Amino acid sequence: MGNTEELDMHVRDQRDEGNNHAGARVIEGNAVTTRRGFMRRVGIGGTLVMLPGVFSACQDGANTGGLTGPGTGGTITFDFAKGDIAVLQFAYALEQLEADFYSQVVANFAGSSFTAADQLVLTDIRNHEVIHREFLKAALGTNASFTVTATYGALNFRDRATVLATARTFEDLGVAAYNGAAQYLSDVNNLVLVGKIVSVEARHASAIRDLLVPQSSAFAPVAFDATDSPTKIAFAAQAFIEERLVFVNAPSAFAPSLNTSASAGGHANDAG
Amino acid sequence: MTRADRSLLATVDPEIGAALGERALEIAHGAGVDSKIAAMLALGSIPIALGALATDVYGQAPSDVIDVLQFALLLEYLESDFYQRGINATGLVPPTDVTVFSTIGGHEAAHVIALQGLLNGKRMTPRARPAFDFTAKGSLAGFAFLPTQYATFTALAQAFEDTGVRAYKGQAPRLIADKPVLTAALSIHSVEARHASVVRRLRGKKGWITGSSRDDLPAFTQGIYDGEENSTQGGTSLTSIAAKVGGTEAASEAFDEPLTMAQVTAIITPFLA
Repeated sequence: MGNTEELDMHVRDQRDEGNNHAGARVIEGNAVTTRRGFMRRVGIGGTLVMLPGVFSACQDGANTGGLTGPGTGGTITFDFAKGDIAVLQFAYALEQLEADFYSQVVANFAGSSFTAADQLVLTDIRNHEVIHREFLKAALGTNASFTVTATYGALNFRDRATVLATARTFEDLGVAAYNGAAQYLSDVNNLVLVGKIVSVEARHASAIRDLLVPQSSAFAPVAFDATDSPTKIAFAAQAFIEERLVFVNAPSAFAPSLNTSASAGGHANDAG
Repeated sequence: MTRADRSLLATVDPEIGAALGERALEIAHGAGVDSKIAAMLALGSIPIALGALATDVYGQAPSDVIDVLQFALLLEYLESDFYQRGINATGLVPPTDVTVFSTIGGHEAAHVIALQGLLNGKRMTPRARPAFDFTAKGSLAGFAFLPTQYATFTALAQAFEDTGVRAYKGQAPRLIADKPVLTAALSIHSVEARHASVVRRLRGKKGWITGSSRDDLPAFTQGIYDGEENSTQGGTSLTSIAAKVGGTEAASEAFDEPLTMAQVTAIITPFLA
């Protein structure tokens, strides 16, 4: 288990540093300066080496002694030796988070500052995210036996600007997550499934950004979307999840986006 | 080019870097690209395109990958020409929407350069930019980017963006063995979806596709939407899953569907002059 990466360290970093540069300390392999180095990381013909794993995505009991907050709960382990299953499990975790978020948003419409038009958009997105979550749960079957508990700190679900800014974070993160994790899929059917979902997440991201800053370039601030590694995404998502996310056998090879400055895990994509 | 661009040039193949640098300078001087798009290129896409080259891998690329890149390049030529003409047309795009369409146009031009760069990086010659007929062989008779034709312009924009999303998605399986190109294609694919969403919303529609509805687009565009009504994914029916959250309409919205290369070709062929 030498390559297990525990992500709770990052939560501490975020608390210390005010959530700046999330994931900056991640030891992951996209700082490649040479073709040769790149080939080494990607592997010949793009074949990724997966080491045998110990866990599947499984959940241990809480160990918190009364603590609450991101990463203080039980452990959810993603074993990337499981290949496509691990990628879909990771997607399932993120969709649980998104579905929970929008469900709370919709449940708090009464007394909120959302316009009627906002509410139509947010209700649609809630529907889509719940469908994504339930679809992945069904597709994963016994591999879906873990539950993400979302945590939002003091987020005011009735405040339009705050909710939309958080929604923007989630949608951009979702796009970057699927874009970045797709390269670890070996079954073309799963690749198409991920493609079917990621473009809807991108439609959401655009709509949310359009609600925040209409008639601007905010809907798509860059020509090439971020494609972040699962490790980087997990660091960012951990801030909203009670359980501790742990990766086993996380692949070190990572083919980055065309736009190396775009990252949903950092702040480069937050303009507007 | 900025100093950062030049230093990045040093990390790529000298031959390719020089060629791309020349093209970037041509564009910077307005060669065949609208000045607003050129300004956006100057802001971001040249380092992006060079970054694509810097991460390319030597070696013979499978014909699938080349085929997909050339196909994507044709679509991006279509889109970038369309927006360039639209932005340049006096009185067509109202001031409130200029930023949206300039942004999209800039992205499409950047996609063209990136795809050309990926092909060059694989020692392949990018296909030439064809001439386009935006009346779709007369289906939109008289359409010429005139000030009175903004509704047609935005309708076509929706058609092209929704097509682009489905086209990239349909080709992804053929890229599965080439992770850098797959990732590049996906990073374009989701931006096309962002474009589609904003254009649809600008037109007063939802940002996502409901059932196989083409909304108010003309009948000849129906092929862009056929199949989007799918509510079974990976062998799982979404009917009961979606029952309490929007039903089959929401289930169709929640997943975008791929198109085959043949289907996309049928859609765009009328636009080839």
